[in-house]
Amino acid sequence: MRSHRRVLVIYAHPYPDSLIGAARDALHESLIGSGHEVRITDLYGSGFDPVMSATERREHRFPGVSEDLAPHAEDLRWCDTLALVYPTWWSAQPAIMKGWIDRVWTSGVAWELPEGANRLKPLLTNITRIIVVTSHGSPKWINALQGEAGKRIALRSIRVLCNWRCRTSWWAIYGVDTATHKATSAFISRIRRRASRI
Amino acid sequence: MTTPSPTEPAEALAVGSRRALVILAHPCADSYGAAVAAAAVVGLREGGAHVDLLDLYELNFQAVMSPEERRAYMGDSPILDPMITEHARLLMAAHTLVFVYPTWWSGPPAILKGWIERVMVSGVSFHIDPDTKRIRRGLTDLRRVVGISTYGSPRTYVRAINDNGRRLFTRSLRLAAGIQLRTTWLGLYAIDTATASDRDAFIAKVRRTTERLAR
Repeated sequence: MRSHRRVLVIYAHPYPDSLIGAARDALHESLIGSGHEVRITDLYGSGFDPVMSATERREHRFPGVSEDLAPHAEDLRWCDTLALVYPTWWSAQPAIMKGWIDRVWTSGVAWELPEGANRLKPLLTNITRIIVVTSHGSPKWINALQGEAGKRIALRSIRVLCNWRCRTSWWAIYGVDTATHKATSAFISRIRRRASRI
Repeated sequence: MTTPSPTEPAEALAVGSRRALVILAHPCADSYGAAVAAAAVVGLREGGAHVDLLDLYELNFQAVMSPEERRAYMGDSPILDPMITEHARLLMAAHTLVFVYPTWWSGPPAILKGWIERVMVSGVSFHIDPDTKRIRRGLTDLRRVVGISTYGSPRTYVRAINDNGRRLFTRSLRLAAGIQLRTTWLGLYAIDTATASDRDAFIAKVRRTTERLAR
């Protein structure tokens, strides 16, 4: 019997009838089917504003988030698994998801900066696994040349604010612009299968 | 230092002169980042370039690509917003493109990531061949991309672990807009412990470098 997990799914796609929308549904169904607890944040659906304001910027050293972001911060503290589900645009997360990181992963929620230090102290030690589900329009070698910025943001830059033993999973499809129906179906099946094993 | 005047009107697109486009993404008008952008504008002008500045926060730029825009993205007319039309026009006329932003979580702020997504569309920074679906380069007048960023982390850490903004602007953009693009990167690292003289020296470096690049 595997342990029961609390999974926070952050989903960003402009419309539901997309490959990423289908991937989210497959992930969700598979996790629920395995008895895990799941919370989903639909950034487009909820009209999330990704632009950090001047006030937020000025106060970003002080612990805490503004009232409208409090539920997002609470979700981050609640989960032990974070799943980011998005299409890769310009080699990284869409602006709406980058802004979710900019605004929610703030002082007092994700990190502390001790006086005089240049390194952040992580606060999201409850997160022991990060899963990324994403699609790339271009083939894999193009993304390799580009340097996979989004992969590094998710699996390095924000991972260091989580538990030091945090495991990472990269469930990605490449070459979607020219992919066959068979390739995209295989991707969805792969998400379902892998999610059932966590 | 004061912020230079915003973008001049459309008819000012002179032919023949070297043009530079500066994109600033910082929430606070009185920030160090705004002073850095102002220094870049002054440097480029002294080097003889015609400079347009887009202050994304001041323009209240809409960072999120809408569902309608996403559906139009693969089509022949992917631009649906007049502000994007204007920015695309300035971008296509530019010989030098300068990005000024604070690095957050190893990448550009959402407002700048959104600018790339919404402005650098098919027909502007690249073209999709209708038969092969391969990407052909756009921005044929563009010669150089300059990235200027401030970082919380020390330089060794940024370079060793991660600099995804730099990757985006020097690699992803070049793959779309042409591998022959030259790039220049200026970073002020460990800004939280930088002294006033470090900051002044960086401003001077930005001004000097941009002036040289505009010549």
